Amino acid sequence: MPVVIGFEGSANKIGVGIIRDGEVLSNPRRTYITPPGQGFLPGETAKHHRGVILTVLQEALDEAGLKAADIDCVAYTKGPGMGAPLVTVAIVARTVAQLWGKPLLGVNHCIGHIEMGRLITNAQNPTVLYVSGGNTQVIAYSERRYRIFGETIDIAVGNCLDRLARVIKISNDPSPGYNIEQMAKKGNKYIELPYTVKGMDVSFSGILSYIEDAAHKLLSTGQCTPEDLCFSLQETLFAMLVEITERAMAHCGSQEVLIVGGVGCKCFYAHLGISVLSASKHAFFFSGNLRLQEMMGVMCKERGARLFATDERFCIDNGVMIAQAGWEMFRSGHVTELSDSWITQRYRTDEVEVTWRD
Amino acid sequence: MLFFENKGTFNQHMTKMPLSNRSSTKYVNMAACVSENDSDKKLEFFLKVPFPSEREAAIALQSLSPDPEPRKGGITKNLDVTGHTLSVRWTADEARILRVSVSSFLDHLSLVMETLDAFGPPVSQ
Repeated sequence: MPVVIGFEGSANKIGVGIIRDGEVLSNPRRTYITPPGQGFLPGETAKHHRGVILTVLQEALDEAGLKAADIDCVAYTKGPGMGAPLVTVAIVARTVAQLWGKPLLGVNHCIGHIEMGRLITNAQNPTVLYVSGGNTQVIAYSERRYRIFGETIDIAVGNCLDRLARVIKISNDPSPGYNIEQMAKKGNKYIELPYTVKGMDVSFSGILSYIEDAAHKLLSTGQCTPEDLCFSLQETLFAMLVEITERAMAHCGSQEVLIVGGVGCKCFYAHLGISVLSASKHAFFFSGNLRLQEMMGVMCKERGARLFATDERFCIDNGVMIAQAGWEMFRSGHVTELSDSWITQRYRTDEVEVTWRD
Repeated sequence: MLFFENKGTFNQHMTKMPLSNRSSTKYVNMAACVSENDSDKKLEFFLKVPFPSEREAAIALQSLSPDPEPRKGGITKNLDVTGHTLSVRWTADEARILRVSVSSFLDHLSLVMETLDAFGPPVSQ
């Protein structure tokens, strides 16, 4: 029954989680939230993570009721992600692995999302839509690889949403995507935006340029409200995602869809505690997208397929998803030597040999 | 525990580095030296960091060495351990590049030391 601790910090969330045989023992997390109109930069994000990581690590051990000796393996995010924050987290992981005399495991962030989604939802062999601020991929498992069937050819869908949020200067707390969704619910005028599906792939940077420009023009002349912009962007982006997911499902003959990543959260939890600018401890908060779930659900129903998703604890970047992927890898014999434990900003999902599945 | 390194013309700089913002503030005596090698106009910077034990110095080395410098050209950094001491040697083309690299390294070093402090001592091998 290996116990694995996982460290995640590739973007603005820093999380440490502990898992034992599929049971989540602890999963504390902090989010670096910037003021409205600003995104998070690598240096400042890394500084935020440095300031809280040891506290979060201690919390993870305390909540799980474990001591260092109880841990069997230390997993951390090797990539992809932002360089400076990745290094910060890797340094702590390497140090504790050596202090405690435990093996180290470098995990692919995307695979962390997938493995956590599989564990929580028990989906057997789904077509996975991985959508976040940094990644947008449609993935299916085949012959020892998580193969990318479709992806963004430029920016991630979450990035597009976050940057609209910056233009209209809405709060980044708890996340820009959440606040866009709340505003979208109140929008009712559909503004036509470019629709850029490219075969199995999608492109978002053109839509972003278009909407940034449109936002300035239409808002200043009062032709639409920010709520209308949010509504129109969501409808367009999510329809595109549903289309490429459906295309991959048809290609693979799949009857299951699993949505993972911060843009794809499922449930609604009460929002506790807000803090702007600095680390804030969110016990639960709602983030991510009901509308995407809804649209995907319609498509799945039409095809007689099942839709799976996890709640914000696991779909937003967290430590235990890294621990879970690490657990699978550890059990099938993977270990990362310290000299090979360098982080990397680019790390394709299909680079990893998935030895733990048939 | 102070060490000096001379190479060509140099500016000596002794620094006490604040270790932690948390419970207690500790200072580490390190020796640092910047020199300019006239022949190829490269800047060099040396740092020697003492640790309480050989084991902890070795741990620090293994934690700090795997990641490549973010900047591909214009800077090199070499880490080594001798006994209780971690030594770091930089060569750079420009002062600005050197400053950024050294500054990042000190942040990371500080993090290693805080981690050693909070979660050490190392288990016996």
